[in-house]
Amino acid sequence: MKPNTVRRTVGYLWILPALLLLLVFVYYPIVENFRLSVYKWNAFQPEPKFVGLGNYERVLADPVFWTSIGNNVGYAVVSVVFQVGIALILAAVLEGVVAPRLRGFLRTIYFIPATISITIVGLLFRIIYQPDGLFNSFLALLGVHSTTAWLGERETAIWSVIAMSQWQNLGYTTMLFVVAIQRIPREFYDAAAVDGAGPVRSFFAVTVPMVREMTTLLMIVTISGAFLVFNEIMATTAGSPGNSSQVLGTWLYQSAFKNDDMGYAAVVAVVIFVITFTAALLQLGYGRLRRVEQ
Amino acid sequence: MTTATSSPAKTRMRRSRIKLTPVRGLIGLVLAALAVLVVFPLVWMAISGFKTNAELYGDPWGLPGEWRWHNYERAYEYGVIHYIGNSLVVTIGSIILVVLVSSFAAFALVRVKIPFSAPLTMLVLGGLMLSETVALVPLFRIMRGIGLYNSLFGIIILYTAFRVPFITFLIRAYMLGLPQEVYDSAVVDGCNTWQIFWRITMPLCYPIIISAAVLQALFSWNEFVFALVFIKDDELKTMPVGLMTLQSKLTTDWPVVFAGLTMSAIPMVLAFLFGQRYFVKGITEGMGK
Amino acid sequence: MKRIIGIALALALAAFAAGCGTNPDNGGSTDGGGTGELTGKISFLEKWPDPQYKVIFDKIVADYIAAHPGVEIDHQAVGDQPIKDQLRVLTSADELPDIFFAWPGDFAKKFIRGGFAADLSEYLNGTEWGDSLAESALGAYKYDGKYYGIPINMNAKVFAYSKSAFSKAGVQPPTNYEELLASCEPLKASGYTPIAFGNQYGWPAIHYITQLNAEYVAADVRNADYDPAGGAFVDPGYEKALQTFKDLIDKCSKPGSNGISHETAQAELTNGKAGMQYVEVLEFVSLTNTETVPESWLNDWDFFAFPPIAGAAGTPGAITGAPDGFLVNGKSQNIALAVDFLKFMTSKDNAALIVKDIGWPSPVAGSAELAQATPEVQKAVTMMSAAPEMAIWLDTETHAEVAQAYLAGVESLLNQDLTPAQVMDSVRAAAAKVKAENS
Repeated sequence: MKPNTVRRTVGYLWILPALLLLLVFVYYPIVENFRLSVYKWNAFQPEPKFVGLGNYERVLADPVFWTSIGNNVGYAVVSVVFQVGIALILAAVLEGVVAPRLRGFLRTIYFIPATISITIVGLLFRIIYQPDGLFNSFLALLGVHSTTAWLGERETAIWSVIAMSQWQNLGYTTMLFVVAIQRIPREFYDAAAVDGAGPVRSFFAVTVPMVREMTTLLMIVTISGAFLVFNEIMATTAGSPGNSSQVLGTWLYQSAFKNDDMGYAAVVAVVIFVITFTAALLQLGYGRLRRVEQ
Repeated sequence: MTTATSSPAKTRMRRSRIKLTPVRGLIGLVLAALAVLVVFPLVWMAISGFKTNAELYGDPWGLPGEWRWHNYERAYEYGVIHYIGNSLVVTIGSIILVVLVSSFAAFALVRVKIPFSAPLTMLVLGGLMLSETVALVPLFRIMRGIGLYNSLFGIIILYTAFRVPFITFLIRAYMLGLPQEVYDSAVVDGCNTWQIFWRITMPLCYPIIISAAVLQALFSWNEFVFALVFIKDDELKTMPVGLMTLQSKLTTDWPVVFAGLTMSAIPMVLAFLFGQRYFVKGITEGMGK
Repeated sequence: MKRIIGIALALALAAFAAGCGTNPDNGGSTDGGGTGELTGKISFLEKWPDPQYKVIFDKIVADYIAAHPGVEIDHQAVGDQPIKDQLRVLTSADELPDIFFAWPGDFAKKFIRGGFAADLSEYLNGTEWGDSLAESALGAYKYDGKYYGIPINMNAKVFAYSKSAFSKAGVQPPTNYEELLASCEPLKASGYTPIAFGNQYGWPAIHYITQLNAEYVAADVRNADYDPAGGAFVDPGYEKALQTFKDLIDKCSKPGSNGISHETAQAELTNGKAGMQYVEVLEFVSLTNTETVPESWLNDWDFFAFPPIAGAAGTPGAITGAPDGFLVNGKSQNIALAVDFLKFMTSKDNAALIVKDIGWPSPVAGSAELAQATPEVQKAVTMMSAAPEMAIWLDTETHAEVAQAYLAGVESLLNQDLTPAQVMDSVRAAAAKVKAENS
């Protein structure tokens, strides 16, 4: 009896560090955030004032909040098109058409931006996107004359940041698709070839269905990533001009640490929580489903 | 067997090569253009780091009139090397801590018989569904309250806490796949749990631990929100936040900023070029998430 | 019960942290503080990390420590843009330094309202130190009749211009606003961007608006509107100011200003591609920095004040500008030491050092003579002392929410997304919200 209890207690010691860290730094703050979202306070008036759902009402009535959500959605849509759709095609082309040695070289090249910190990329593109910057002179080479300040116009700012993000991440997901395609048994392609399928048809008949699992996972990861975007914006526009390139993450930060409105920020955090939590549930659910299927 | 499978594939390749030459040419062109598009901004950044302000604005496409290593020296003097050093400390520290804590937890959930292990598994892995931004405002009070504000150790703790669920998930899945026989023989040999963990489980988990380390490195090296909010002193800033500081220090001197950016990009690019195998394996395992 | 567990966990973790050999810095200090002896540790945060400025503060700190062996100073510098968030983060974390930079206006007042700024009147009223500091600069940090801030410099906005560009285009420095507008055509025709303007961070436009509001709106109306408790912003002058600004930029600058930084625009001026730029007197030092500016520019520039608008309802001849200064943390354990350090920093010798090395006009009496300030700085000082009113930066003068509404609104105005009337609508909405919270 006694040694058994000791052993049980010792057993808990293995998991104790993980639990401590999670409870103190992950679970408690998130629960606390829900509580704080019904108070109004800031750095200069540290005594929170209970306002009920007032912060929620203010957030929902704020056009900048909706601009931010819209930008996150735009981010998600474009990222899915590029980092899932185009990345899959690119991976299939690399694996199917390109000579093996060149294939490895190109994969490596495409991946490089993904290893570089977003801050570096953001500061670099700040200059590239200037009216007399590299991007406009590149357009001039193509015969398009432009003096657009890509990060300075309401219509272009967020899309320019999104484009930069595709530049950075395309190679990463392409690499993942390459691995997924390499795991497809060769026989499937041979069988398709015997049936007279060309490269395009065998792409749709074999590649797409066989990498469906990776596609679904990448879609979920890409979408929830798009709702957590922060650094990309901070390193480029910081939400300007006129809050047109705010996303939920930067709007949370600006509300908390620039507009002196912590309660408002807590509500934005709740929204981010709901969205990413749903995405993660989908992801876990999908993972379980997959394991059951196997 | 080998010849039987490889020869039809070869035929397929050869046939399509003959049939699709113009298309293949076009594809080749697109792929090459894409490679240039990807690499050129980075090369431009490195080269611009050698220019003068006037050259940077006046002649963005040209080479510098003189290769000014001085700019790189100045970036170094303005603390870039400090930032990189701090990032290394945080990255290595959090890799060690997260792998240890997660391996312990995974081991407990898989091998050690503890009551309530099912809800505990939920509790640990449930952290997967929570993101850092959400916790930002309350975390602030906590970090301050326990004196971890403005310390690299505090950042390491945070990077560990938020990644424990994910890394535990990876290692647990791997441990579940280890054969039971190994443990049985160890028990017969009289090993206690501690010895089993260090002498049997950890060595067997070596491949997944490498992958976990790569994934944690990519995370810690680039993390921005926590590093921005929880570090105050310039001497303690990690690279992603430090570079923003560098830019605000040198508002008028972009070539030096570019030199600093290039210096900061190099370690991870080199790590990738030399350890590509591990990167690819790591990010692939990571998708099992 | 849950809370107790939470606290226990936190404590356990803190113990764990301490056991691992880190040394968490809890700010503040204890050793020897409060005994009357000037010993102990203070923290000091300024906003000039750029090496050319930082060396000066480094030297002053080092000199003070050398003279006071028992004193430690934790000196940090955070850039102009990041310090706005940093100060809030530090305040929330209870880590506000003993001495910290704050712009005058509501930016400083919110620290005062929250009890985060110490009343320094007793050290200044009728003392030698108080008398040595220009009242105009001290007054920027005066609130309810009490002094809260120690000014470190004096600053104003002027147009810096290229003499060769002006002579090539055949124009003279303007003496009224009409002439300024009229100079743009000939400058353009001679191949120059008449006014270099980069508004990436929003404040460069706000400085124009500060000036134009001062031109168009009577001082008492403005002061009432800028106060968090009273902002109505119904005077038609505000819209006129926005419209005037818009017309000026459309006529005299390149499009896309929101995507260019002020510094990049400045490079255009110093590289001989633009005619003029609206700059701070404090920027003279970067305009003459031989590391970044071509030699051709060094003797080619001069400056003039914003030319007055005839018949406008505001203060004729007002100049936009305000001193930079430091507040002492009202919750500091070491207020006496902090004040003594500030006194040292604004001694005549140190003020002269600042004037000489980085060309900042000083609020300290006699320092300019001592340092033999450059002719440009002397001219600027004369200009400031002759001004009937110094208009404090609109984005630090008003409440943060009103400032953000102005910043975002003017960016949208430049992009043709909002009209002046719409910008004022959003400013009024923000002001109403602030007013409701502050009354």
